[in-house]
Amino acid sequence: MLTPLLLIPFVGAALLLFSPAQTPPGRLRLGAILVLTLQLGWCLAVLARFDPTTTGMQLQESFSWVPEIGLDYRLGVDGLSLPLLLVNAALTLVSVICTRDISQRPRIYFALLLTISGAVNGAFLAGNLLLFFLFYELELIPLWLLISIWGGAQRSYAATKFLIFTAISGMLILGAFLGLALFTGTVDFSLTPVLTERLAMGQQLLLLGALLVGFGIKIPLVPFHSWLPDAHTQASTPVSVLLAGVLLKLGTYGLLRFCLGLFPEGWAVLAPWLALWAAVSVLYGSLAAIAQSDMKRMVSYSSVGHMGYILLAAAAATPVSLLGAEFQMVSHGLISALLFLLVGIVYRKTGTRNLDVLRGLLNPERGLPFTGCLMILGVMASAGLPGMAGFISEFLVFRGSLDRFPVATLACMVGSGLTAVYFLLLVNRAFFGRLAITRSLDPIQDARLDIQLAPVAPRETLPATALALAVLGLGLLPIGLGRISESTTTAMAWAGGAVESVERSQLFPQAQPVHNATSGTINPRITARGEG
Amino acid sequence: MPVIPELLTRAGGMPSLEALTERLLAGDTLLLDTPDNLVEVVDSLASYGVVLDAYSTNLMYQAEAQFLNPFPLFKYLDGDLSFAKIWRHLCHDRINYEYAEYCMKAMLWHGTGGLDRYLDSPDFDASCAQIIRRKLRRDPLLALLHPLFPAFLPELIRMAATTHALGQFWRVMSDLFLNLAEAEVQGRISGIAAVVEFISAGLQRAAPEAITYAVVIDGESHWVLPPEAGLTFLTDVAVPYVEAVFLRGMPFFGTVSFNAQAQQISPDQSQFTYGALFADPLPTMGAGIPPSLLMQDMGRHLPERLHQRYLRQGRGDGDGRVKLCASFQKAMFCVTNGAIAGTFPAPLSSGDPAAQAANHAHATGWAHRLAASRTDCLGWDGRADQCLP
Repeated sequence: MLTPLLLIPFVGAALLLFSPAQTPPGRLRLGAILVLTLQLGWCLAVLARFDPTTTGMQLQESFSWVPEIGLDYRLGVDGLSLPLLLVNAALTLVSVICTRDISQRPRIYFALLLTISGAVNGAFLAGNLLLFFLFYELELIPLWLLISIWGGAQRSYAATKFLIFTAISGMLILGAFLGLALFTGTVDFSLTPVLTERLAMGQQLLLLGALLVGFGIKIPLVPFHSWLPDAHTQASTPVSVLLAGVLLKLGTYGLLRFCLGLFPEGWAVLAPWLALWAAVSVLYGSLAAIAQSDMKRMVSYSSVGHMGYILLAAAAATPVSLLGAEFQMVSHGLISALLFLLVGIVYRKTGTRNLDVLRGLLNPERGLPFTGCLMILGVMASAGLPGMAGFISEFLVFRGSLDRFPVATLACMVGSGLTAVYFLLLVNRAFFGRLAITRSLDPIQDARLDIQLAPVAPRETLPATALALAVLGLGLLPIGLGRISESTTTAMAWAGGAVESVERSQLFPQAQPVHNATSGTINPRITARGEG
Repeated sequence: MPVIPELLTRAGGMPSLEALTERLLAGDTLLLDTPDNLVEVVDSLASYGVVLDAYSTNLMYQAEAQFLNPFPLFKYLDGDLSFAKIWRHLCHDRINYEYAEYCMKAMLWHGTGGLDRYLDSPDFDASCAQIIRRKLRRDPLLALLHPLFPAFLPELIRMAATTHALGQFWRVMSDLFLNLAEAEVQGRISGIAAVVEFISAGLQRAAPEAITYAVVIDGESHWVLPPEAGLTFLTDVAVPYVEAVFLRGMPFFGTVSFNAQAQQISPDQSQFTYGALFADPLPTMGAGIPPSLLMQDMGRHLPERLHQRYLRQGRGDGDGRVKLCASFQKAMFCVTNGAIAGTFPAPLSSGDPAAQAANHAHATGWAHRLAASRTDCLGWDGRADQCLP
């Protein structure tokens, strides 16, 4: 049931790559769309077979691939990975649909997109650490090529920077996985939590630290974020959609699956510092976004900020916060993809993303009014306005984290407010006022500028409209995602909490179980915990 | 970051004060005489004529049949209360009469010319008092309202009088513009100069027509603007209309207080420059932009020739109303041009230094008023008709 999620994109990529050289780009695009539609359909079939009441991995497939080094071909899906699979399938399809006028090496381009999609599927489905690493690395080269070949003027710089950062990320992750084998003396790379009975706390913290930095680069978290704005700025719109919507989620997924999942005790020790890190990341990302004048850089810095919410939620590791983290991954995927699509439309029509130049794009006849409406909806969702996806995810993150880390949560709430600040700046500068794409100089002359922008065809906004509807749908009916993920995230929180209570009860004998108000059950979490 | 293509933005050239003065004194038209400009002007005035016909009918209906009606719910239906008419109205299959009211309020508020002087005269106050007395006999609500707010009903009557006067003015202008279109079809109009001359002649012909207005209360007719007031078409309505709507206008509703607080609006009403000749066509169809209503109406009655021309430019129908607004502005410059040409104190060919000085003063005065207007549309920089394919 799960192997086809690898076969479909990889075989599709191979077919496109080895298609006749004279195949027109439109036909290649259509082929890629068909493959990705099939992939999305298969994901929906997996969803239909998925039992949301079960907490562990489902629909598992496994065989021992290279047993000498502990590499098993083991696939499985749970409430954490299934929504991300769906997001990956949907956003890759969107990125191919919004690819237009690709004349340079179209076969390679579409094959690389499909390869990335397959690799991301593999990473989300992997039930073995080495298998995850293989897929994690597999998406690196295609993305590097996509930026360095089809990117903007500074693409070489951005692609190299991306490659260096992500390669370091991969090395750290691989180092941590191999270190685990070294320290435990076994080549067991399964997803079993590593407790103090198997590994000393110091070694756990060392490995966890390597994983945190590795995934922190990928997410990205401050101060490992500097590759992202450059990569986004130089990447084409479809690649930005994929990068923000899907590939960053590999980092957050790794954070939850491997950092929290493998080292729950070490995680509990570091949690207060991680919450602090999250707050710094959120505030830095938001403040940096305010300072940007390039729309794309602003949206990418907003990603840096919004990824911080997931670290906060993971640090809190309560059932509600982890569910919020899942919601945030999905909603950020949809919202950031929507925003990058819209920025791409603005750039295509005006030739610029400079907020010092763009004005009045909401002009009903000569501007980009529908694009502007979708942009307003997107920034409202990103700022967490009720009724849209951003609200429910941020609400769950904050509600789930507030009791454990009140100061960090409040700081992140300030970051949420700052989201409204920078996105309203964006909307106000680029979309309100009189239409112009020049700097404001002389008001008399400015009022006489005659602007001729090409219109936006309905088909150009179709992917963005679909994403906007998804953002609204998730905001109005979050129960669907909640049902898929709640059992898994609650189990993850319980696993972390149970271990943590054992560890803490040894450190602090006065610790007592308390009543968990959110789940209505007795949670063995200790009372002596708090911020820092 | 790519360089913004030059053609994506351009600012039209604005003629200098001296150039405007020279052009007026030379008897040249303000608008460049080109075949494209001719089509734009004639066809936009043809659609304007159709719309003015509807505005005029409705304004006079409002002033006569909805006089002092405290709840004029059906004032835009011209007395036709059939379900079909109401349904079309609710579906917005209708003329935007709100624009006509907007122009009326601009005239009322700026209050220049003979009409306004009469509305502030004791004779008008006496007529009002008599009309209100008759009206209150059968209207208990107004009878209650009037003692509480004694200035309210006279103000409503002033508004009704302005409404009716504007209706009469537009009646004449509607016929004039439709005749112009017909003359162009017949080949009697071959250039912008002929358009200006046609309009100027039409205005002069209608100049002495009397402006009167009477209302019927309980079967008895009462003069609001009696013939004895001596109000005439050109000086008492047309000139104040041009002053209020073409030149001064009003800052848009909803922005006036903010702009006033920012000291962006002159405290001197006579210095206002928000009229049709100063309007920016680009925001047309934006919320709260009054020309949007007119362009929506005109767009429904656009001659096919101009429509086809618009289809070949820019976004075709997509930005048709912006293009129509730009064409309409050119037409309004022609109307203004006609008014200026018809009001020179002496013939332009006069060799008398005193006459020449008077004409120069007249031309300079108008050039000053037009200097900051949208003269960039006149095409003097040779790029007025340039559009992206």
